[in-house]
Amino acid sequence: MMIYVKLIANYREALPPQAINGVVEMDVPDGTTVYDAISKFDIPLDDTSVIVLNGLTVDMNTRLVEGDMVTAFSAIAGG
Amino acid sequence: MYGWHLRILRVNLTTKKVTQEDVDPKIARDYLGGRGWAIHYLYKEMNPMADALSPENILIFATGPLTATPAPTGNRYMVVTKSPLTGALAHSNSGGEFPTWMKRTGFDMFIFEGKSSEPVYLFVNEDQVEVRSAAHVWGKDVHETTDILKGETSTEARVACIGQAGENLALMAAIMNDKHRAAARSGVGAVMGSKNLKAVVAMGNKNPALYKPDEMRALSVDTSKNVGADVKKGSNMRIYGTSYVPQVTNTLGILPTRNFLQGTFEGVNNIDGDALKNQYLIRHTPCYRCPLSCGRLTEVPDGKYKGKGEGPEYETISSLGTGCGVSNLAALVKANYLCNEFGMDTITTGMTIAAAMEMYEKGYISEEIIGMPLKFGDHDAMIEMIKKMAYREGFGNDLAQGSYRLAEKYGHPEIAVTTRKQEFPGYDPRGSQGMGLLYATSNKGASHMEGDVAYEEVFGVPVKENPLMTEGKPELVKHFEDSFALMDSSGLCVFVAIRYAFSKDRMILPQRLAEMMNLSTGAGYTPEEALKAAERVYNLERMFLLKAGSVEDTLPHRMLHEPLPDGPAKGKVVELDKMLPEFYKLRGWDEKGVPTKEKLIELGLPN
Repeated sequence: MMIYVKLIANYREALPPQAINGVVEMDVPDGTTVYDAISKFDIPLDDTSVIVLNGLTVDMNTRLVEGDMVTAFSAIAGG
Repeated sequence: MYGWHLRILRVNLTTKKVTQEDVDPKIARDYLGGRGWAIHYLYKEMNPMADALSPENILIFATGPLTATPAPTGNRYMVVTKSPLTGALAHSNSGGEFPTWMKRTGFDMFIFEGKSSEPVYLFVNEDQVEVRSAAHVWGKDVHETTDILKGETSTEARVACIGQAGENLALMAAIMNDKHRAAARSGVGAVMGSKNLKAVVAMGNKNPALYKPDEMRALSVDTSKNVGADVKKGSNMRIYGTSYVPQVTNTLGILPTRNFLQGTFEGVNNIDGDALKNQYLIRHTPCYRCPLSCGRLTEVPDGKYKGKGEGPEYETISSLGTGCGVSNLAALVKANYLCNEFGMDTITTGMTIAAAMEMYEKGYISEEIIGMPLKFGDHDAMIEMIKKMAYREGFGNDLAQGSYRLAEKYGHPEIAVTTRKQEFPGYDPRGSQGMGLLYATSNKGASHMEGDVAYEEVFGVPVKENPLMTEGKPELVKHFEDSFALMDSSGLCVFVAIRYAFSKDRMILPQRLAEMMNLSTGAGYTPEEALKAAERVYNLERMFLLKAGSVEDTLPHRMLHEPLPDGPAKGKVVELDKMLPEFYKLRGWDEKGVPTKEKLIELGLPN
């Protein structure tokens, strides 16, 4: 199934060249979780990262469905 | 005494009399400094019912016990006064260099009373204090004024001043320092303008004596190196400043778009941090002694938006950009420069224009009244409106009153997205429930800097909270409000101080912050005492608000009754009634939001 991963700001360095505006499309097997998808990228998978599914706070073991977007960014004070 | 000078400079602008006063060490300790000292004096000396633009209002510049010390980001000051925009308390924070230079005059605070009969500026070089004519800079913008006053005083001096917006009493006027930094919110620049005070020029060599200078330097070095990922090379704040945030809030569906009609913006990639970095960034411009360096000098090199200056920051992108539906980056950058030069808060400026755009599109305000079409996304019309606001020309006079008065005048108060008549910053609380409670209860009207729980709900600092949940938010908001009162009183910038005010278990104990204040002042605060002092400050601010006649803690129509139509928070409104009673209980306030007598006694406040 096709899903999307979006990385924001400094995490974009971990994206492959075909990414557009920080978004890359990926073909993943059924049963792939949020964790499985995001762990393919060289970003920290601890509390220094914020990872959301379709913009929502979810468990990292949540299974993805076709068209889902996983987004990650560095946890940082700002705004 | 250490850390604090314990000296105040009082300037009566009516009589031009200048006096120096000592500060009672007990008051100094109980109210921390900065924002805390300022509310103590404001509450004691001013009638909260006074007209904010009358000579009765008092304008206070206040540094903290960590300003002009080795503490990283110890470069802030607060401007505290009664707001002409909200009728409530104003306290606006700024960094750069001026606050450090101000404290080096040997005074912690400047208090301005009365009103000058003609334009003046204050020059302070330690004990040389002069109220000088400002006739030659009246009518000039912030950049020109700063250059002229430095030229006629000293290149060693630093300048805080108002631009044309403050002179003309536009209610979103800011006080700018070092040209590009702003004590922006709540119309503090209009108060300065109402007193005919164009500028404050400060210099000196009186750094505060430190209680334990060697230990303080060691803790400061450790803090710079080790407190959080934020200060490290390659962090978002170092690369982008706050301009990376639109992608984050857009992902969560809380990016204010077209006056909060939507929570996501289709043009976000055109105006985000990468676009700004790739097209217009020249270099970083840190505040004094800041390991973070989030400020950025930018330039639009040619074309009709040609210009050079600092920013824009996130809050400008979410107001003048997405708030107005504008995706032309060069025009947005130019609009930001204009606000800095005229001396205007970009949040209230942008969101007031956004409200006018919505009212135009709905047919509530005609093209004839405005003088031109004013559709969402029309960046040239937006720029014209900024100029008209600064000078209060034509329709600009309506805009210069802010969105609440604008919407009310044209018969549609439901359009204004404000609390206490102050415009919302860049986090739609329908998708960030804690922010909703914060905006509703903030003593100064809608402001993220009153206690920015978006750090947890949005940014995951110190831990990630689900922004759509209401559970636990009353406690979180209270902790953040108190902690922000502490940081604002200390003289630190929240961007770094947040890392040493909070622990990961969310039970906030400012261990490192209290230690830093003790090494500076010798006051011997326990973390609990420092936090209790911050709670004292917050409750006294509440009392000022109540005496000023503004009591209701609520949210505008759109937030309570119009569900978000798009994005991850689609269908949500703010569930304020689920949070407010618990918040009052945790605060020790009654069901109307009034501190109980027991709470006032506990905090040692007048009761």
